[in-house]
Amino acid sequence: MPSSSLPLRRVWLPAAGSAALGAALLAFFGSGTQPAIGQSQDSRPAIAEAGTTIGVYSGRHYNTDKELYRQFTAKTGIKVNLLEAKDDALIERLKSEGKNSPADVLVLVDAARLDAATDQGVFQPSRSAALQRDVPANLRDSQGRWYGLTRRVRAVVVNPKLVNPTTIGTYADLAKPALKGKLCLRERKSPYNQSLVASQMILHGEATTRTWIRGMVANVSQPFFTSDTPLARAVARGECGVGVVNTYYVARMLSAEASAQDRQLAEQLKVIYVNPSHVNISGAGVTRHARNPQAAIKLIEFLASPTGGRGYAAANNEYPLKGFGDNPILKRFGTFKADGVSVEQIGSRSKAATLMMESNGWK
Amino acid sequence: MGVLATAERASAARPVPPLRRGPLAAAVLLVCGLALLPFLVLTGFAVRDAGASRLWLGAEGLEQLANTLALVLAVGLIGALLGTANGWLTACCQFPGRRWLRLAQVLPLAAPAFVLAAVLVDLGSRWGFRVHGIGWAVPLLSLTTYSYVFLLSTESFSGSGQRQLEACRSLGVGPWGSFRRVALPLALPSIGAGVALSGMEVVNELGAVELLGVPTLSRGILQRWQGEGDLRGAVGLALIALVLVSLLVGAERWMRHRSRRWTLGQEGAGAQQWELGGWRRLLAQLLTLLPPLASLGIPLSWLVVSRDHLQSDPPEDLLALTLRSLGLALAAALLTVAAALLLAISRRWLSHPLLGRLTFFAGMGYAVPGTVLALALMLIGGPLQLSPLLLLVWGYGDRFMAVSKQGLDAAFEHIPPSLDECATSLGCGWLAVLRRIHLPLLRGPVLVGGLLVFVDVVKELPLTFSLRPFDFDTLSVRVFQYASDERVGAALVPALLILALGLAASVALMPSLERQGKGG
Repeated sequence: MPSSSLPLRRVWLPAAGSAALGAALLAFFGSGTQPAIGQSQDSRPAIAEAGTTIGVYSGRHYNTDKELYRQFTAKTGIKVNLLEAKDDALIERLKSEGKNSPADVLVLVDAARLDAATDQGVFQPSRSAALQRDVPANLRDSQGRWYGLTRRVRAVVVNPKLVNPTTIGTYADLAKPALKGKLCLRERKSPYNQSLVASQMILHGEATTRTWIRGMVANVSQPFFTSDTPLARAVARGECGVGVVNTYYVARMLSAEASAQDRQLAEQLKVIYVNPSHVNISGAGVTRHARNPQAAIKLIEFLASPTGGRGYAAANNEYPLKGFGDNPILKRFGTFKADGVSVEQIGSRSKAATLMMESNGWK
Repeated sequence: MGVLATAERASAARPVPPLRRGPLAAAVLLVCGLALLPFLVLTGFAVRDAGASRLWLGAEGLEQLANTLALVLAVGLIGALLGTANGWLTACCQFPGRRWLRLAQVLPLAAPAFVLAAVLVDLGSRWGFRVHGIGWAVPLLSLTTYSYVFLLSTESFSGSGQRQLEACRSLGVGPWGSFRRVALPLALPSIGAGVALSGMEVVNELGAVELLGVPTLSRGILQRWQGEGDLRGAVGLALIALVLVSLLVGAERWMRHRSRRWTLGQEGAGAQQWELGGWRRLLAQLLTLLPPLASLGIPLSWLVVSRDHLQSDPPEDLLALTLRSLGLALAAALLTVAAALLLAISRRWLSHPLLGRLTFFAGMGYAVPGTVLALALMLIGGPLQLSPLLLLVWGYGDRFMAVSKQGLDAAFEHIPPSLDECATSLGCGWLAVLRRIHLPLLRGPVLVGGLLVFVDVVKELPLTFSLRPFDFDTLSVRVFQYASDERVGAALVPALLILALGLAASVALMPSLERQGKGG
């Protein structure tokens, strides 16, 4: 086959070229900021000071968070390396990296995940007068392994044309037979729902909570939703009379970043803060094998402080740790009375809550 | 040119050249080891302090299993029909727009299923129709996976079968008869390989089925892990799913094994295409136009109705994201194709039954959910302090080995062993046979394999998401971050860039397939 070298060259020359290009691109865009998994970046001093670098693993992925990290760097001179991924994957990655982990801070969303991370020993306890002051006791771990940063409220949204808003004052009202065929819920898989059920178990006991779940499931009219925004829209369009969502999704529909159509839809909704309301958090802790715990705690202090925390919460239309903030859209919803349940307790009950939801028909 | 067809049947008489195969065997063992190590680690992880009760499915688990099987079968069937039809039409028929439509068939593969699902759910919830359930999942996943069948079968149609078709023509057999009696049987291995790939993709698919609320096995696995905190049980389930898929693929291979057909391809004459006219032309155009139109049209329609709140990252960010995706995909495609080629050759040259089984399983990584494979790589990479990028490329190689290997295996089935025998009797070693005979004949499948891996890596999510280094976002990572946060508007521009990269790769590689079809 004398001609065989021609097609060969045609395949392998471009292949070799593309390999070289690929390697070059990776070398250029991949280098600089990443240490090997588990490799120390440089010998960092034990005292937090300008010029040091900390690694942050975050389960929050709001692009706006990055602005806050930039502000922190500008203020303290401490550089932040960021890796955003799914909460559970981050926990496993920290565990597998062990003492070689380049992460100093782990940020997670939802009580149950903070609890899971604590159980698996990826945090270390840390003490800070600023955090004791800025983070209410029920929104932090009793041993200082994690601290709440922002609050999100699980609220009821109602379409006033279908359901009289005054008939709903508590979560228990959602199980009333009057709402048959009008209630829409998100799936059991949503950690926000798991934590809601866990908080009800703590407040009202298991038997009452079981009856409540069964009543709600009997009222559900549509297949369980897989996300909050479509659920809120379905209520606004009158396909459901009432639903349960995190308020920041409604706030986003009302904000300037939403479409005119979404703003119009959200205007149809009445947001009800039931009394008392279930509050979930996003929170952060210093990792067990942090190389720079002092700088790490500085970042957490900054994010929990009234100045930094306002930005962290405002970015996603969440509530700061104390008070109701100054977000004009959230102000439209009024104020809420938090149920005060300890997030630590919610986390420890969330697995039981999930099982109860499963065995009572919450898909 | 008109050499007669040699569609021959033969018993599996393998060539037995008495040559040194030590280095080949060592290389194959190394690749198999790298491919299988994560699964060994997972097995060890799952059985440590495990009880049989962990693997009990329960009522929900059975529903998930049933849904998964239904999805695999329905998507496989639709994919086989659509992929084969479009493969034949664009390779062997002539109609206006054929060349462009052929290139466009890669677009649906480049569209991440979860993006299409997110856009559809979003549009539906605004306009008041509910996008939910398996009725939506089947067409959506068929759309995003039929290209596997298309690419592998069209390569077979345009390359290896040309002279047989010419013979048909000279014997007065029409296009339909030629297709049914000659081209289809010759393409069956490729079609089977494509369907197997689509089946594996469906089994490990997570994002779209989650958004559409279809309870599948992959969701059950994640539920075990994230909902119930039972990571070992989750891994156990994933491994069982892997065994099931292996059995399915193995069965398909075995059934085909008895009807093996070889052909001396490559030198087919050009201008073999049948001219289509009238309604046939229209039908051909519709069939080949609709799928790419849908995969591009769904995001674009979102763009049109949401002009007022489209957000975009700054251009320099988008450029960096794109270049990272491009770099990873190029590196992974090359490494993976090289490894797959090595394994495919070894099946022919080292007829040790154990080695055959090893290479078979080495190509099954695609059937495991990416999150579980990522976990395995973390378990390996953490203690060894491996670089995240190295782990990531290893993961891509392991996951997408199947994507390039399936096509190569199918193509090898076309090359008659008598060729190897001739070459070895003339004194060629395996390396020389590879260089001078196999590689020239396998040029098409190698290109297609590289293209498939490239497109798959660009849209890959779970591995990239959990294994990447600090501050190393790619297009798919950014798309997912926005989409999972229910911000479709911000996800759209990077999603369209993913499509653009896929199309660019297709435009770069397809012409050389075309040349091959015309006997270049």
